[in-house]
Parts: sequence; C-alpha cells; structure tokens
Amino acid sequence: MKLALVAALATLLAASSALAQSPAIPPAGEIVPREITWLASRPSDGPVLSTVRAIADEYAAQHPGFKLDIVETPDRPSYLQKLETLAAARQLPEFFDTDATPFADKLRQQGLMVDTAALLESYGLTDQFRPVALNYDRFGDGSLYLIPLEFGMEVFWYNKAMFEAAGVAPPSTLDDLPALCPKLAATGVLPLALDGVDGWPPQRMIAWYPFRLSGGDYLDKLKKGEAKLSDPIGVKTTEWLASFASNGCLAKDFSAQGYTDARDQFTQGKAAIYYMGTWETDAMINEASQAEAVRGNIDYFTLPLTPDAQTGANEFFVNSGIGMAVGSGTFDPLVYDFVKYMLTRYSELYANTGALSPMTYTPEKLPNDAPLYAKIVGEIPKLGSLYAVPWDTQLDPKSNTVMQQQLTLLLQGNITAEQFQQTVDAAIAENAPRFFN
Amino acid sequence: MTSEAVVNRSAPSFPGTGALNLQRAFSQVIILLIVLVQVYPLVWILLTALRPAQEFAAGNPFAIPSVITLENFERAFAQGNLGHYLLNSAIVTLAADALIVVLGMMAAYAIQVLGFKYSRLVLGFFIVGIVVPAHVTLVPLFLNYRNLGLLNSYWSIIVPLVGFSLPMAVYLFQSFYSYIPRELYDAATVDGAGPYRTFFSITVPMSVNTVVTVVFVNTIFIWNDFIFANTFVLDKDMKTVPLGLQSYMGAMGSIDWTATFAAVCVTITPLLLALLVLNRAIIYGIQGGATKG
Amino acid sequence: MLSYRSRIAVLVFLTPPLLAYVVAVVLPIFQSLYLSLFEWDGIFDPVFVGLGNYVKMFTADPSFWGSLGRSLVYVAVTLVFQLGVALLIANLLTYATRGREVIKTLVVLPAIVSTVAIALLFRRLYSFDPPGLINQLLDFVGLEVLTRAWLSDLGTVLTAVSVPEGWRFFGIYMLILYGGLLAVPRDLEEAAKLDGATEWQVFRYVRFPYLRPVWITTTIMATTNALRGFDIPYLLTNGGPGESSELLTTYMYKTAFAHTQFGYASALSVAIVVECLIAVGLILFMVRKRGFTV
Repeated sequence: MKLALVAALATLLAASSALAQSPAIPPAGEIVPREITWLASRPSDGPVLSTVRAIADEYAAQHPGFKLDIVETPDRPSYLQKLETLAAARQLPEFFDTDATPFADKLRQQGLMVDTAALLESYGLTDQFRPVALNYDRFGDGSLYLIPLEFGMEVFWYNKAMFEAAGVAPPSTLDDLPALCPKLAATGVLPLALDGVDGWPPQRMIAWYPFRLSGGDYLDKLKKGEAKLSDPIGVKTTEWLASFASNGCLAKDFSAQGYTDARDQFTQGKAAIYYMGTWETDAMINEASQAEAVRGNIDYFTLPLTPDAQTGANEFFVNSGIGMAVGSGTFDPLVYDFVKYMLTRYSELYANTGALSPMTYTPEKLPNDAPLYAKIVGEIPKLGSLYAVPWDTQLDPKSNTVMQQQLTLLLQGNITAEQFQQTVDAAIAENAPRFFN
Repeated sequence: MTSEAVVNRSAPSFPGTGALNLQRAFSQVIILLIVLVQVYPLVWILLTALRPAQEFAAGNPFAIPSVITLENFERAFAQGNLGHYLLNSAIVTLAADALIVVLGMMAAYAIQVLGFKYSRLVLGFFIVGIVVPAHVTLVPLFLNYRNLGLLNSYWSIIVPLVGFSLPMAVYLFQSFYSYIPRELYDAATVDGAGPYRTFFSITVPMSVNTVVTVVFVNTIFIWNDFIFANTFVLDKDMKTVPLGLQSYMGAMGSIDWTATFAAVCVTITPLLLALLVLNRAIIYGIQGGATKG
Repeated sequence: MLSYRSRIAVLVFLTPPLLAYVVAVVLPIFQSLYLSLFEWDGIFDPVFVGLGNYVKMFTADPSFWGSLGRSLVYVAVTLVFQLGVALLIANLLTYATRGREVIKTLVVLPAIVSTVAIALLFRRLYSFDPPGLINQLLDFVGLEVLTRAWLSDLGTVLTAVSVPEGWRFFGIYMLILYGGLLAVPRDLEEAAKLDGATEWQVFRYVRFPYLRPVWITTTIMATTNALRGFDIPYLLTNGGPGESSELLTTYMYKTAFAHTQFGYASALSVAIVVECLIAVGLILFMVRKRGFTV
C-alpha cells in the first residue's frame, strides 16, 4: 500500500520532464495511413468542421485506413479544462485548438507544437493566407505555431430605425458612443446589448480606447506590469467605461445575460447597438429569425476614432478565431501530408460556405446575395495593417480573471474607475511575473 | 420492516375541531403551492421545446406558446445523435449503479454486521470520502488512468463515479443495517447460516428500500455528470447525454435553446418514465431508505 | 461481535469496495495533497514550495476568505430549503387527507431535470429586462419596489444562486423526513394530545426526538452536498458579478483550469475537504452535546 502510493506519486509528476525535440519539416519516411484526432473547440455543424470533415473523407478515399476523428467541445471553458488535462499528461493529439495565449506559449516552449511558419513555408502556402490572419496567431516574438481557419471583423451592428427615431447618427469618435445612450434610452430601447456572462465581450470595450491611442503598445506593457491602468491612457479608458454605467447604456442585468440573450435583444428589436464579429453575419441577414421591425434596418459601423488616434479608421478588431495547432509528439509523414492536402482544398471549399476566409481565395460569385453580406466582404480589401487583439488572450490568466470580474462591477456602476485601476494593477503586479519572465 | 409496513403506518388522521379544519385547509393550500413550484419547471421545459425558436427569442418566455411546433425536436435529432447519447448514458448509469449498490452493501455488511476490530475506523475512512470535491483530483486521476490504460473507455467514467458515490452508499447502508435487530442474525446463526448465506438470505432482501434510495440519488448524479465524461473520454462514440447537449452550441457560445430543450425533454424521458413506473417503490424506498426498511 | 463472522469473510466483503474507493478517491486525494506542496502550471516541472500555498491561502488571498464565507451562506440558504421547508412540508403532509401519493411523486420531479436546464430556467425567472416571472409576480401584487436584477444586484446574487440548489433536491429530503415522521408511534401522539399538548408541543416533544436519527442523516447529506455545490453557481453567474457569488468550489475550479495553478488549486481542495470534515464534526458534536446518541 505504502509502496504503491509512493510509486503513484512519482509517476504523477514524472509526466513533465524532458523537453521534446522540435520535429524535422518535412518529416522523413513513408506515409502510413492511420486514425488521427483533432481536439476542436468549434461548433459541430459550423463551416470549419463541415469543410474539414468533407476534406478528410476525400483524403480517406485516397488513403484507405486513414480516419480523422474530430472531438468537438464548443463550450470554451470545458474545452480548455480538457486541453490542460491532456497537456499535463502529455497526451496531446495530432491537432488541437488554441489561441496564442501565455499558456500555449508554454506548450511551445516545451516543444509540444510544430512550427507552422516553417510548415506553411514548406508547403509553399504562406502567401495564400491573409497576413492579418497569420499575424493574429503569432506569439509575442513573432513566431507562428498555429494555423488560422477562420476570419472575422468585429463591428457595431446597429438598428437604423432606432437611431432615426432617437435622432442620432453613428458615432464618429469613441466619446460620442456613450453620449448616444441617453437619447436612445429615452425612446424606450436598450442602447447597447452586451453578453456579460462570458468575460470577453465586456473586455473588448476596455481594449478600444487604448488601441486608438497607442495601437498595441499600451497592452504589451500593461500585461507585463510595465504600464499601469493608473497611467493617463488607463485613466482615460476607465473613466470612459464608467460613463457607460452613468449614461444607462447597458441593461441593468447585463451581467446575467448570455451570448444568445444579447444577440436576441438586438435581432428581436429591443436593443439599438450590438458589438459582435462578422461570424454573426448570418443572424444579421437572415430576416426570418428577426422581429418584423428589425428586418431591413440592420447596418453596421466600425470602431470610432479618437481626436488624436494613432490607428486608422480601417484598423480595428480583426481576428482569425481560435487557431489549430499541430502536436509535435505525433507529427509524422501522414500528418504532414494530410495538412498539406487539407489546406490546399480548404481555401476554395471554405470560402464557398459563405464564411469569411483566412485565405485570400475569393469565389467569383458571392455565395450570398444579401447587400449587407457584400458590404462586409468589400470591407476586407480596405483593411489596414494594424489590428486590435483581444486582451483575454494576452494577459496572464489570473490577472485576466480579476480584470473581467472588476470590469463587470465598473460597468454596473458598483465601483469607481480609481478602485478598478487599483485592484487590477495590483493583480497584474502580483501575477504577471510568473508568465512574462 | 419492508415497504408494506410503512404503507400500513401512513395516513394518521386526527379528529377535527374547527381550528384543526382551518389548519388542515391551510396545509392543503401550502402543499398545493409547493407542488406547483416543483412541477412548473418540467412544464416550462416542455413548453419551451414546443415553442417556435423565434418566439422564444422575442416573446415572454413564460407565456403559453402561440403555435405548437415539433421543429425543435427535428433539429435536436438532426444535430445530435440523441439515441447514441442515451445508450451511452444508460450503459454508464446501469453499470455504475450496480457497482455502487453491490460494493456499498458489501462494505456496510462487513462494517456493521460482521464487525471487526477497526470497523469504526474503516467506516470513518469511507465517510471522509463524502466530502471530497471531485474537480481537483482530475489531473491525478487522468495520469493514473493513463498509466492503467483506462482512458477512453466506459470504465474511465464509471470508476470515478463509483468511487465518489461509494461513501454515501456505504453510510446509508450502514446506518440502515444498524436498525436490523441482532436477534435476526442470531437466529440465522442458530440455523447454521455462515456469513455468506446470512448476507444473501437476510441482509440483501431487507436492503431493498435503501437500494432504491441509493440508486435514485446516484442515478441523478450520474445522469448529469459532465466533468468525468468530458475529461476522460475523447472518443465521440462514447459521448454521454450531458456532453451531447453541447451539440446545440454554435460559434462563440451561441446556443440553440429551443433545440437544447427539445433534447432535454428527450433525455429526461427515461428518468421520468422510470420515476412514474417505479413510482411506489421509489417513493417508499426514499421514504424508508435512510432509516428503516 | 457475532459468532458467525470470520476474518476471511470480513476480507471477502471489505476488499473489493475498499479497493475501488482507494483507487478512485483516496489515492488521488493523496496525490492532490502532495501536489499542494508544489507550484505547478501543468506544463513545466513542478517547483516545490513546501507549505507556501497554504501560507498564501491563509495570509495573502482575500478571495479565499471571501469565497469561504460565501460558501457558508450558500449552505445556509440551501439548508433552509432542504431541512427547514422540507421538515415543514413533511409535517403538513402527515395531516393531508387527499392526494398524498401524487404529491410525493411530484415533489421529487425537479431532481431529474438536467442542470443546464435548471440554470437557464432560473436565469429567466430572475431576469429584470424583460421582467422574469419573479419580477412579474412582485409587480402584480404591488411590490414594484422589490423588483430588481436578482443576479446582478450585489446584495441578492448570492442568495439567488443558492435557491435553485436548495429547491432542486428539496423533495428527496422531504420524503426522507416524511418517512422518519411515519415512524413516530401514533399512540404517543394521541396520549400527548389527550394531555392537552398543542400541535407544536406534539412536534417538539414527541415527533422530533423520534425523528432525530433521520434528521442527523439528512443534515449531513444536505450539508456536505451544499458544501460541494458547484454547477448551478458556475452555470448561472460563474461567480459574478465581480466575486459576489464565487464559492470555494468555483474558485478552486477557476484556479486550476482558468489560472492553471494546479498546486494552489490542490491546496484549496484540501481546504474544502477540511471544511467539510469540520462541518460534519460540528454536527455530530452538537448532537452529542445535547445528550442524544446517534
């Protein structure tokens, strides 16, 4: 009994030992078809998985014995729990999904991920990807260990009829945004629909002002504790956020409203503005799912500027969704060959689903004839070179939790901007060194 | 000592005075209110499952649906492999329940009936397990199962479920066995029954009510388990119901609620049927399970 | 000690359950205990920190103490339903003349509903805009002043996330207590009444002493279940807004899987085990002190 215990304790921690060697690209040897696994955090019937499933079927027809087993866990917290457990046990599969987070960076440092910059280069496919899509997946030092499979721009969807009724126009500066709220609220509508159950949508709001004032600079320093929220940019930002509470921009119970609730408030004609990515384009152009008064009244505007903005009107939140990593432990000629086949077929098949693609291929005839869809597609070529990144993928996880919690309180008007700055600055000072040393 | 005895003891009625009648009426009202509160959620879930998706998004979620539709059920079956999830959950639940009951009875029998020098200590050892939260044992468990080659099998869900349910089962069986009069066992011994025959001829038959309680409480827990299934099983052919309910989740966390509720309706049906069919056994089992048979 | 027992029989009956329990529960607990002496992110080699995690927990982590306090409130609210209301209704049920059987079936119904569905139902019930059922009812009876965003208001959210847990399994506890009440000898009650005892006195001096063993079992079951309560708060508010509904269990889960501090999370889980042990000890202590044997 005692012996067994000691042995079990030893194996418990033995898992994390030697650094794995980064595999050669391309790997040497024959292609031997087998079953491979993709641990995915994407909707099971969404365009990415449907497309890859179809491609895997083609590949299996040419390579008997091959099978791609996709294990999807769309709920992100459940997914991350699973990924972390597998990583701790060194049981990562052939493919797994992750953002370029500090956690993923640790996986890379342990040699558990394949260098996808070298991989794409050896396929000769690098220039088929939109640079913005690739850049979003890079780690802080510019290295690339993920493959982008999606593409999205984040915009402010708004209800034209409600704006008209309140006598307001889309804001041209960020300061105009909270100023719209009292006028919209006076007409009996909710100014801004917001999903507060998930931490990330409110966290987008704290990123807007710093991105306009400094590009990515402020965040890069803040996450390491080199800049503070009590610095001028942070003060300006947090006071501006506090004005959302005082101006009545948000639902009184936004913190208890989920993703679907917030979207429904907008599409069912209860809210005037809804900030969300183009992955919701379907809900915006599919009039059957909307309230009658909303149909034909949806338009969007992009992130407003500030008087002294360092970034352009064509630069805002653009991202390529969660990336796909290739595990190095099981990387072999088969995986190498399949990824090549998959990416070669992906650009065309995926673009034809109507989803915006991380690759440059554009179908000659748009798969959807809604004018709003055409307008969004037309936005892509105009994009600038800078883009804002989500803070939740950049901050260390503990500081991130504290920020998200405090942000809800700030937006509800429970705490002041100063209290917010103090609490979050203290959390970053305590936790950042563990991740950014 | 069986459920019959309990039935016969029920329905005490008191000769009524005026005040008592008033009190009785008041009791009836309170009870009616409680029943309303307890039944309402099931009705709400069913109504939501029958409501058009757009009406759920737009309208008062508590109103009676304007149209009854089966579209949600169509989507529920089209997007998720409901039959398969149910089958997997049934396999896991039945196996885990059986093990919990058998192992729980065995341990309680050894501790309470047979008795031995350190039996109280062993009981305490089991009872400590009642209070262990499962979440942080996930990483060690995962590593252990990997070493034992148990990952990705029904066993990898069943074993932790059994382990974490066992303490309460042992506790309930043990506290019930303490009510079985010693004379019964003494009589059996006089008849020449050994420990094994006594177990099967006296203890097991008398445990029916406690078995029902243990099975009922654990079935609910097992049927709802998400965390073990999510952590230890990669194979999607082995998805249980709680994992399957995620099939209705779209990009970034949007959820097809009406389809989810249709699926919830389908997946609670087996439990509901079991509750209705085995109604008397379950109710009297729980009623008597924690004390005496 | 009975004559029909034998050393071998004890081993035969005890070994399989003990083995299952040790493999599935005890071993990982010791591993967690061991892990709580390390700082470990799940990726790099664990760093031995001795009792550092415990020192941090007790002296430098206000979230720990806050969550601990909220966990106790959560238990209290849950027990109001699972013991208080359950006992009240079980008593009333003994006076009911009609429909008793139907009622007993109906009260356990919520127990079989999936947690996901319960969480969503309560989110709708508590909703402020559009008004959920609770706010609609308050409005209807003229108590508009009480309407609020139950899950966003810092003063009400903790109670609001506790209620579903209490409500959900209330029926099971009620049935167990009802079973206990049936065991009270009728003639004793009748005799007390003939002596002029009120209903309350009958309950206090005749029924409750008989109920005591069942009462202790249900108290322990309900308390430990509530102390481990996790999924409803997790799904309903994920501990928010801020930390106002964060329990020790949700905090531990976050520490492990959101912050990847597995060592510290293990220390937190050890704290939960200790907390539960203290709770059970206290219950048993109070029982003994009042002169009753278990």
